Amino acid sequence: MTPTGPPVPETRQRILEATYTCVARWGLAKTTVEDAAREAKVSRATVYRAFPGGRDELITAVVSWATVEFFARLYEEVHDAVSLEEVMERGIAFAHRSILEHDVLQRVMQTEPETLLPALTVESNRIRQGIAEFLVPYLRQRGVAEGVDTGEAADFLARMVLSYISAPGRWDLDDPVQVAQLVRAELLAGVVAAAPSALPP
Amino acid sequence: MAVKGAALRVVDAVTVGGRPAASPRPPSADGAPDRSSPHRLAVVDATLACLARHGTLKTTVDDIAREAGVSRATVYRAFPGGREEILGAVVDTEMARLFSALGVTLGESEDLGQALVGGIVEASSRLRGHAALAYLVEHEPDVVLGHLAFDESNRLLGTASRFVAPFLARWMSPPEAGRVAEWATRIVLSYAISPSETTDLCDPAHTARLVETFVLPGIRALHSAVPARAIDITPFADGRRSSLDTASINAASLDAASTTPHPSTAPHPSTAPHPSTAPHPSTPHPTTERKSGHDH
Repeated sequence: MTPTGPPVPETRQRILEATYTCVARWGLAKTTVEDAAREAKVSRATVYRAFPGGRDELITAVVSWATVEFFARLYEEVHDAVSLEEVMERGIAFAHRSILEHDVLQRVMQTEPETLLPALTVESNRIRQGIAEFLVPYLRQRGVAEGVDTGEAADFLARMVLSYISAPGRWDLDDPVQVAQLVRAELLAGVVAAAPSALPP
Repeated sequence: MAVKGAALRVVDAVTVGGRPAASPRPPSADGAPDRSSPHRLAVVDATLACLARHGTLKTTVDDIAREAGVSRATVYRAFPGGREEILGAVVDTEMARLFSALGVTLGESEDLGQALVGGIVEASSRLRGHAALAYLVEHEPDVVLGHLAFDESNRLLGTASRFVAPFLARWMSPPEAGRVAEWATRIVLSYAISPSETTDLCDPAHTARLVETFVLPGIRALHSAVPARAIDITPFADGRRSSLDTASINAASLDAASTTPHPSTAPHPSTAPHPSTAPHPSTPHPTTERKSGHDH
């Protein structure tokens, strides 16, 4: 039952999936290395070999893993979009819905925000960079307004996407008309070329 | 009866005022804080000093009393709920200080750009220069982050934009002002939580560039879009007016503030396109050209 070699990526992946199942069942605080090992059908030693930091490392890693999973689904959802406007609209609408429907995230947010949030904040920096890099080709294709730096615009848009999907505020992001207005009128007006009222140089 | 009794004691405390330690009553007998205590602000400021050194976990009422130079009994008379109540008062006080500084900056601004730049710089600088906040972000991030994520973030966005919106309503309709206030709050929070290597919102030049590049064009575009589809984002529960009316009333004032000719100065059907039919003059239709099906 106990593998002897170094942990292969599949083992790590299996342990993370198992840990996520445990978190969904019991929450972050009550999930132990034993639980994860039992769920993954590996030994404790195997878990420790993959995650030498033990439980703390496992919890951080599972938040990171779940975040990456979330944004991988988001990528799947929007990667065939043909324009900057479309990718932003579809991305915001889908991410908003997915966060609301994410049972595990919602429950852990309610019961253990103190464990989840610091890990999630570290992740959000990585995610922001990921979103920005993803948007750059769309910005190049669309063309940015005069005087706008593409990298700077991508970072700004990524920040705004994260802000709106995690807290919609006054916006109803289930309404496609509102999402279109948010993206086209508000977020992109200063960013893209030929905006309706770009500032003079 | 109990409520009346408590109210009377507060009245009594006001008249007695200035001799807090002389009161013969047990400090927390009825749980009602003595809001008139002259020591409340001193206790709050002492707590801020303690938090900047040790955070919430290691700060005791004794520490706070020592820092404030008063007795424990005095602290408890001002805050019968003890540590928890003091920490709540610290948050309230710091919010009030932030908002009052923000109010001065916004009130003195002479145009929309100045208000946005001044407000964002003021808020960002106060957040960054806050010693207690800096300690907590570093050592007890969960305490701070709890106020900045998901539902709590929505609450904070609401509180901040309700305060800021009336200042911005000098240059736009109340619904637009609510929206722009919320947008500005998002910008402050985003850069405060994850600082940028290239854009420092405490620097007026950086903020001016961000506002002029990304925010003002968005406000102008929003302004031309609002009359077409009135999305109710009025920040006030009462006294709502139709956003159509207010938008047309305020159209002239926003255009006066803008430096470029505006494509639509009034919500006329021919000049203000409906977002669902022509949301962006130079981009394809979002719903007919897109092969989506996932949100229809």
